[in-house]
Amino acid sequence: MRKKKTKSFAEISAKECFEKLKVLKNPQKALIKALKELKQAQEEAEEQRNRILAIVNNFSDGIMVFDQKNNLALINPQAENFLGIKGNNITGKSILKLARVASLKMLVDIFRNKKKAFRQSFKVGENLVLEMTTAPLMREKKRTGTLVILHDVSKEKLIEEMKSEFVFLSAHQLRTPLSAIKWILKMVVDGELGPINKEQKDFLSDAYKSNERMIQLITNLLDVAKIEEGKYLYEKSPTDIKELIQITINSFKKTAVAKKIRIKFKVVKKPSKLLLDASKIRVAVNNILDNAIKYSPSGKMVTISLNRDKKNIRVSIKDQGMGISKSQQKKVFTKFFRGANVIKKDIRGAGLGLFIAKSIIEAHCGKIWFESKKNKGTTFYFTIPIKEI
Amino acid sequence: MAKKILVVEDDKFLRELIAQKIMKEGYDVIEAVDGEKGAESIKKEKPDLVLLDLILPGVDGFEVLAKMKSDPATNQIPVIILSNLGQKDDIEKGLEMGANDYLIKAHFTPAEIMEKIRSVLK
Repeated sequence: MRKKKTKSFAEISAKECFEKLKVLKNPQKALIKALKELKQAQEEAEEQRNRILAIVNNFSDGIMVFDQKNNLALINPQAENFLGIKGNNITGKSILKLARVASLKMLVDIFRNKKKAFRQSFKVGENLVLEMTTAPLMREKKRTGTLVILHDVSKEKLIEEMKSEFVFLSAHQLRTPLSAIKWILKMVVDGELGPINKEQKDFLSDAYKSNERMIQLITNLLDVAKIEEGKYLYEKSPTDIKELIQITINSFKKTAVAKKIRIKFKVVKKPSKLLLDASKIRVAVNNILDNAIKYSPSGKMVTISLNRDKKNIRVSIKDQGMGISKSQQKKVFTKFFRGANVIKKDIRGAGLGLFIAKSIIEAHCGKIWFESKKNKGTTFYFTIPIKEI
Repeated sequence: MAKKILVVEDDKFLRELIAQKIMKEGYDVIEAVDGEKGAESIKKEKPDLVLLDLILPGVDGFEVLAKMKSDPATNQIPVIILSNLGQKDDIEKGLEMGANDYLIKAHFTPAEIMEKIRSVLK
């Protein structure tokens, strides 16, 4: 361009002007384009925001967002509704200030004690039970706030309560007439209401036994209901497991003698006292031992052994009974399971014993399993970790 | 003089059955069909022992127990709870409130109940 100095001013300036205009025009275009894009992005963001707000505001769960400094950044109408706080007067306030609002106290307490992400339910007022879930909000591994979700679980809780109420009532209502039958039969059998002959006595004794089974069944059903509610285990106390097993064995003496079954108790290595819910462990041992005797033919032996290693105690209960067929072994610990071979032989049971036993052992962080061969016998094992007292 | 036992039980059949059994053993028996009458009888008759059901129409057994244990005129009378409530919390509550024993109806025969009565009265 510099070489062409001879060119006329007008010529140059026209060209330059054109170029300049072009340059001027282009940034304007670019600017307009950029502005347009920005606007579009803004609109999109706005739309996104509106969409999220619409979701948040219409969500059936309560949602609250706290910022980095634990100030309340957002609360949706449902959360305000749940907590009985209306309007914007709490947005922006710190969690410490929120703790002063009565209906928020529980929530704030939970919030401050929380770990990373977790869930807990709490009661608000008379009829509302909320389950609170908190989760951290992260941006590039940095915590930018906390999300709190409040879910209404009142209905579930109500149904749960109704269920336990029902179980409790039916257990009570069923037990009362059964008690009457038990008492009257016992008094007749014992000859307290006048003499009866042997045949009468035998029949009535059988009726008494049937009634006892019914009572036992109700006790088992109550246990199952408690297990499902998660309220089954109570306090653990230092327990001598050897003595506990011995007492359980003794309670079967009569039955075993009547059926000519020998019960052998082998203590390989006696553990010191363990922290157990003794009455429940007794139920577990009782249920396994009851099966071992019930499903063994007369004249056989049942062997219980107790052993320990560094970490666990181990109990095994071995019988020489009819065994459990391979195809059914998976179902043994399920509720109401009864072996096909057992039902055919008309041996009574409700199929709850092993389900209860398993729940008890597992509640002690232990394991339960078995080995079985058809017509050879079954061995049940359970282990319970030893915790130093 | 024969010792006097109060039976608080709303189920007529159970009440009569156990009352009959107790009488046969040579004790005197007073019967009450609900909690209110039970509490009245305790105050008026001062029995030597109370056999107390828990689920009763109106005033329940726990209330009867609380009432008699807070009254210095009756708080020394021994109580055996005879109920079909068998949950551990009920049993613990009953014993904590001052009952001498807690029997679940369906788990005891009349003869066994008598044995408990005798041992408490000793």
